[in-house]
Amino acid sequence: MAKKIMGFDAYWLNFYGLMILTLIEVLAVGADLGSTAENLDMTERQITLWILTIIAVPKFVMIAAIFMHLWGDADSGILTLTALFPAFFIIIMVLFIGLTHPESGIGLPDWCRPGNYGL
Amino acid sequence: MNNSTSRRLALLAILAIAMVVVPAVTSLPAGIAGVKDSGCNCHGTEADSSVTASITGLPETYNASETYAVTVSFSGGPSTDGNMNLGGFNLWASDGTFSTVDDSTQLWGPSEASHTESGNDQRSWTVDWTAPESGANVNFILHVNSVNGNEGNGGSSGDMWNRADVTVLGFGDAPLPEVDPFKVLATLVVISGVMLSIVVLYIFYRKNPDSFDWENFSPWISEWLTSTDHKKIGTLYFVQGLFFLGVGGIMALMIRMQLAVPGNDFISQDYYNQFFTLHGTTMIFLAAMPLINGFANWMVPLQIGAPDLAFPRLNAMSFWLQPVAALLIFTGVFSGQGADTGWTGYAPYVVTETTHSGVSMWAAGQLMLVASSTLTGINFLTTMAVMRAPGMGWFQMPLFTWSILVANLMLFLSIPAFGVGLIQVYLDRTIGTAFYDVASGGDPLLWSHLFWYFGHPEVYVVIVPAFGVISEVIATSARRSIFGYKSMVYAMAGIGLVSFIVYGHHMFTSGMSPTLRFITMLTTMLVAVPTGIKIFNWLKTMHGGSLVYRTHTLWTLGFLVTFTLGGISGMFFPSMGMDVHLHETYFVVAHFHYVLVGGTVFGFFAAIYYWYPKMTGRMLDERLGVLHFLTAFISYNALFWPMHRLGVVGMIRRTHTYYITTDDFNALPEWAADWNMLISMSAFLFFASNLIMVYNMIKSLIRGDKAPADPWGGWSFEWMTASPPPTPSFDPHNLPELKDANEHVANEPGIFGQIFRRLMVSDDAAEEESH
Amino acid sequence: MSGDYHGDNHPSPWGPHDWGHGAPHNSYAPLVMSIGVGIFLLTFGGLFNFGEFDMWYLPLVMVGLAVTGIGLFVWWRQDMSFDASYEPIATGTPFKHIQVRKVGMWVFLMSEMMIFSSLFSTYMRYRQGIPRCDTVFERGMFDPVLNPDGWQEGVAVTCFEPASHLIASSWFHLAPGAINTFALIVSSFTIVQALRWAHKPVGSVDEEVRRKRIYRYLGATTLLATLFLTLKIVEWFVGFPLPEFLHEYNHGHSSIKSLYAEHYLITNDHYTHHSYIDEATGAHMVANIRVSATLFYVTTGTHGLHVLIGIIGLAYLTFKAWTGAYNPQSAVSIEYFGLYWHFVDLVWVLVFPFFYLY
Repeated sequence: MAKKIMGFDAYWLNFYGLMILTLIEVLAVGADLGSTAENLDMTERQITLWILTIIAVPKFVMIAAIFMHLWGDADSGILTLTALFPAFFIIIMVLFIGLTHPESGIGLPDWCRPGNYGL
Repeated sequence: MNNSTSRRLALLAILAIAMVVVPAVTSLPAGIAGVKDSGCNCHGTEADSSVTASITGLPETYNASETYAVTVSFSGGPSTDGNMNLGGFNLWASDGTFSTVDDSTQLWGPSEASHTESGNDQRSWTVDWTAPESGANVNFILHVNSVNGNEGNGGSSGDMWNRADVTVLGFGDAPLPEVDPFKVLATLVVISGVMLSIVVLYIFYRKNPDSFDWENFSPWISEWLTSTDHKKIGTLYFVQGLFFLGVGGIMALMIRMQLAVPGNDFISQDYYNQFFTLHGTTMIFLAAMPLINGFANWMVPLQIGAPDLAFPRLNAMSFWLQPVAALLIFTGVFSGQGADTGWTGYAPYVVTETTHSGVSMWAAGQLMLVASSTLTGINFLTTMAVMRAPGMGWFQMPLFTWSILVANLMLFLSIPAFGVGLIQVYLDRTIGTAFYDVASGGDPLLWSHLFWYFGHPEVYVVIVPAFGVISEVIATSARRSIFGYKSMVYAMAGIGLVSFIVYGHHMFTSGMSPTLRFITMLTTMLVAVPTGIKIFNWLKTMHGGSLVYRTHTLWTLGFLVTFTLGGISGMFFPSMGMDVHLHETYFVVAHFHYVLVGGTVFGFFAAIYYWYPKMTGRMLDERLGVLHFLTAFISYNALFWPMHRLGVVGMIRRTHTYYITTDDFNALPEWAADWNMLISMSAFLFFASNLIMVYNMIKSLIRGDKAPADPWGGWSFEWMTASPPPTPSFDPHNLPELKDANEHVANEPGIFGQIFRRLMVSDDAAEEESH
Repeated sequence: MSGDYHGDNHPSPWGPHDWGHGAPHNSYAPLVMSIGVGIFLLTFGGLFNFGEFDMWYLPLVMVGLAVTGIGLFVWWRQDMSFDASYEPIATGTPFKHIQVRKVGMWVFLMSEMMIFSSLFSTYMRYRQGIPRCDTVFERGMFDPVLNPDGWQEGVAVTCFEPASHLIASSWFHLAPGAINTFALIVSSFTIVQALRWAHKPVGSVDEEVRRKRIYRYLGATTLLATLFLTLKIVEWFVGFPLPEFLHEYNHGHSSIKSLYAEHYLITNDHYTHHSYIDEATGAHMVANIRVSATLFYVTTGTHGLHVLIGIIGLAYLTFKAWTGAYNPQSAVSIEYFGLYWHFVDLVWVLVFPFFYLY
């Protein structure tokens, strides 16, 4: 327990890191990203989504690795594998259920439409 | 307390309970004795013939909802003109409603009228009676008081009363009376509770007639209610599973009676819907799954050499959620409001207000079953991963344990989707959320997705343990090790993995994403590969061995035939064009009954004949067993085989009735009626033939031959303990050890083993931590 | 087979267990809890029927909860004497040398992952399939020739209105959610601190100091979790007033309305938002947002339910810590509960951005 990262206590470091990342999340929603969005040829909402997703990933990893002891302990390796076991099933679920919305029938690629059977 | 006294006391207790239970559906007032809060009481104790009561104004036969002015009057008795008070009355009708016309009368309820204080000085009164709509006969009971006029409540001495009965005929056949659902439910729950207690008391009595008293009964029943022993819980699961197999079977018989002849109306459409819904739900969730859990609870710890499961108390929790859930699922049926959505409960019908109110409870009950399955999954997965006996690697586990591992993994990972779907339905039906409200943009396909994401792994969950049983039985009966052990394991794991990406074939006609349709068409065809591997391995096992024909062997051979047929008929569905034709016909019914009855149930029968001696220490009667197999196998095929043909000509499933004709394109050909009659008769035969097994089990339990530890010559761990096994099954401080002649080969890590070994806690690290 | 255990050492199935003797651990708790849950689910279906509230079922619902609570109490009473002197260790690959209960906890978390994946899949499906309300509004007023896709006054449009449109519209509105995020992170931190103190080797700390530290850290975790639920209720149903000097930063309004008061409801299909008013004509766009509200309340509510279960567990752990039950040997109990608690935090890490911010 009580591991060190670069001489700092892992729990404290993790705690501070999480606080800062959350603060960035909240600020990113409040900030006016209109001009950045125009430069990147995206809507402001898309930029926000990207920022939020990108920040959620390290937060996720930090909690899992440090607080849930999936890093640095003798049993971390095999328990990480256990935790990742449902990944395949979650991906299937998100692809099959989450991303096949009702209107996907009209959003088909051309080669899959009636009359386009030839290659 | 000596035995005969306690026996008598128990008998008296049962009688007392039975008397309380006898339901009073309608309580007729036999008289109006007894003081009401305000108004008349009967003056005097006995009726007096000098008083004559009469009712006028009632028709001989009433019309629905018509209002009649009813005049009640009396003559005779002490009532004389000039008295301060003359008399009173009470008029009760079994149906319809009264209303007052003046202030001389009052109502004590919609169907009971009486005089008021100001109406005391009359000898005749008039009230309005509105006839009911039901058309049933209506009884009137009139009581009158003839009073002598002395004042005050105590001044009723010398008064006289009498009674008159009139019946008004209804205009039609009396329909079934409307029932109060909760009254019926309560009555049935209490009756079944009493019947259950009588059965339990009888079993306890049979166990040891000399110690039939409370001192011995209390610890005995408390042991069963609280036990965390895997064998006791296994037995409880087993009893529950067999009971509901019977209940589901009776529902199937009702359905078959309805379908025996065309145009039948033996049961109404309303009840038909409830019966096929609950037939499906009961058979899958309350019969097949508990039977699997029963065998798994019994055999998995024994086969891997563990003293018990990893979390015994959670195991008890998994079981006890089940009977309560069953009660909830059947709540609606008890009150005539059973779930009528089909076991798939398709949205948006499942959340519309026109469905029976039992659908909410059906969802709630299944929610509890989801919780139960999740706990079971945690328990079994952990047990099999961590509690294998020394020397037993993954590839030394018996195939039945492997099948339970794969089944639990599938169930465990898929059932949360179903649980979430059920929560959505339950919330839609209770607090009024809008998951499946089409008008608000709700997507009914979402339910199908969530349901079948769980539903398809689920049907493999019930068949894979049967694979495990068959592998065990066929290896033991052929007196050799199973052919291709590793390929069997990989085939099962492959089935488990593929089961998650094939579920779309249940929804080909639903209008879901065509890309997904294409993917699931291919993957569904892929399922045939691992299943084929298993079947050929079983054949090869028999080919290399020499079969001993015991009852369980016969069931195994029967399984191979029927399951293969079911598998082949299943291969029609993944091809989309074919599926559109066969969708929702009896071909589908034939297919899944061939795999679920011919596969799962036959597998379980084999398991019962195989492991019954181990569980009870008594041998089953082989002659009865063979009789059971022959009758059941023949009637089973006569029952389900013709359904293929009916399906191909277009007999629709889930439909109340069907019609035949020679010319109409939309109706079935004439011979369909004969086939349906054959199916229905075979259904009764099949049901009856299974009673042979129940009889066999009860008879053998009482006076079967004592079973040796290893009656069939099996060689997995469960055959090394006594029959029945002791508790705890293995001594925790002296676990059995699996010895392998090829130990150096068996423990050589393979590709996966090497990866795992790098991630595992090394022996050195564990050593270090303990210091 | 019956009565095998019936002897002098047989512990009561209602009372504390005798863990030391390896005696059978019979328990009435599973039976009682199952019946309680059954009564609750049965009567809850009467309490609410398609959104209609029937108060007569309330006592019955309470009975269900009470019976469940009795079962839970029996379970805990039996667990109080558990001191982890008997902690089974896995013997088989690949979990060799790991505590069995820890493996069980991780397996349980697998099913929790699937539950929240299902909820998120539902969310993604609807979020993708239904157009956003402000997109619909931007299409402009209906005109049969010029704008046949537009919206009409008085005709409800089915569209997706993310809660973030309300919540993330002002800092004050976001405050409860944001504070909750920090509360959960802090509570995750306090529970690992409790674990750390429990883990300190015997002799290196005063036992009284250890006891106090552990129960104070666990108590702090309980309080933070309670704060989370309280703020949630404030945000959903109550709302809160603002001090006067902040009014000007809040469009001149003196208080923050709850989502309930904003008509962000599962039952209401006549939702209008102040930004959905056509400036030229003053017409209101009426939106049917039942699906969006349902998704928001049920997903965050499921997470809230997990927090509630966590509070119940934490209360028990705090009590047990107060009795001084935790030492390096039994610290594992805090660790296993901690896994669940961190998982609840993990879920919030995803719920917060996708339901409160985006």
